[in-house]
Amino acid sequence: MSHDNDVTSNVRPGWNAEQSHYNPGREARGVQAPEDQFFEASGVLFEQAMAQTRMAVCLCDPHQPDLPIVFANRAFRNLTGYEEHEVVGQNCRLLQGPETDQREVDKIRAALASEDVVVVELLNYRKDGSTFWNALHLGPIYRSDGQLAYFFGSQWDVSEVRAARAEERHARIMARELSHRIKNMFAVISGIVNITGRVRGIPGEAAEINGRIQALGRAYETTLDEASSGAIEIGPAIRAILAPYDADAERLKFLGNGLRVHFATVSVVGLVLHELAANATKFGAWSKDGGRVEVDWHETTGEDPGKLLVRWREYDGPHIPIPPEQRGTGSQIVDRMLRHGGGSMTRQWHHDGLEATIVIPA
Amino acid sequence: MNILMLEDEPLILMDLEFAAEDEGCRALCASSVSEAMAILDSERIDSAILDVTLKDGETCVPVARALDERGIPYLLHSGDLDRHDETVRALGAELVAKPASAATVIARAIKYARDAHRQTANG
Repeated sequence: MSHDNDVTSNVRPGWNAEQSHYNPGREARGVQAPEDQFFEASGVLFEQAMAQTRMAVCLCDPHQPDLPIVFANRAFRNLTGYEEHEVVGQNCRLLQGPETDQREVDKIRAALASEDVVVVELLNYRKDGSTFWNALHLGPIYRSDGQLAYFFGSQWDVSEVRAARAEERHARIMARELSHRIKNMFAVISGIVNITGRVRGIPGEAAEINGRIQALGRAYETTLDEASSGAIEIGPAIRAILAPYDADAERLKFLGNGLRVHFATVSVVGLVLHELAANATKFGAWSKDGGRVEVDWHETTGEDPGKLLVRWREYDGPHIPIPPEQRGTGSQIVDRMLRHGGGSMTRQWHHDGLEATIVIPA
Repeated sequence: MNILMLEDEPLILMDLEFAAEDEGCRALCASSVSEAMAILDSERIDSAILDVTLKDGETCVPVARALDERGIPYLLHSGDLDRHDETVRALGAELVAKPASAATVIARAIKYARDAHRQTANG
């Protein structure tokens, strides 16, 4: 954008009486495009906007030794703490200090030499010595005849943006570390159970406990990435719980789609599905070649809305003429847990397998 | 069959050791890179199980490289998949995510050793 030499007024060149705008005081020489042309009214409007914008702006004169600042708007003065007369005539390096990264300064130097536009982010110093992160956008301004007139610099204080970025990075690192430790903790718990079972001569029982712990571990793992909110996606958790049984697409089919539920739901869903899968392996559809299971999940509607409904259906399993006694330890645990959580499970025995419907407050 | 196990968590190491013994294997346990290297120099190893992140900022990478040089198969056993994504990918070994049952991990290690033996016998 070129706007330096088209502003004509009868004020003498230089800073006007209120020091609110700069008048370069040159004649317009050949206007190339409409946006290069400033008539008197729009020129004044432009100068007012330049003076009053909250974006800090300065202009530097490449035709004077050491590229001095010839104009600095109010926002520039507010940002840096310098008065007008303290910056005009100075090189912009007066904002630099001991902690300013010289590599960024080199980029500025290179851009000035080649008359390029560049954006750098560097640590700057105010008059009182305090620092701020400056996103400096600088570039050349040409006169209508193509001659270099000024370099402009616009300064934006991005200290808060940088702090937020650092915080976010820190939070990500913490989340990853936490995830690692939780997985490790599950592995250690599993080790304790195995070792205790072995020492006490009850490896079978220990393995049963471990099966449940590991199903929970898999379910929790899927929730770690979004630990910041209370709600989690139940789909990935269900898939992870049943992953060890998922030998091929024929054997296990997932029909449910995305659904967010409360985090506390995970442990109940994890243990219930683990028991169903273990039983299907021992007595149900997965005890027989060709047996398969479909798992579906959605939110309830109608009379009892807003709950998580999981439907487990076994097909092509062995015929079970009389429904098995449901007082096995696994069933007892599941029924009691669901009751405590305000949920329920209904079992229906079809000729080729179990259909279980689990409802859990989500 | 000799299985080298590198793991800095004693309980996990013990669990793996028991599981290996159940399968009639000999478990050679190390909890640091230097211990693992000492075992590699003095024993004949058929396969290895390596925890990726070790204490004191160590990783299993030096041991993995030494195993590669000797042509010994190994698998990575880690709960820290993201952080060492690059490391893990560079090694090109199978990764068993923690928590996994010790029996599963040992079964994989034994399969690796058998496959390697078969390849040597055929080659």
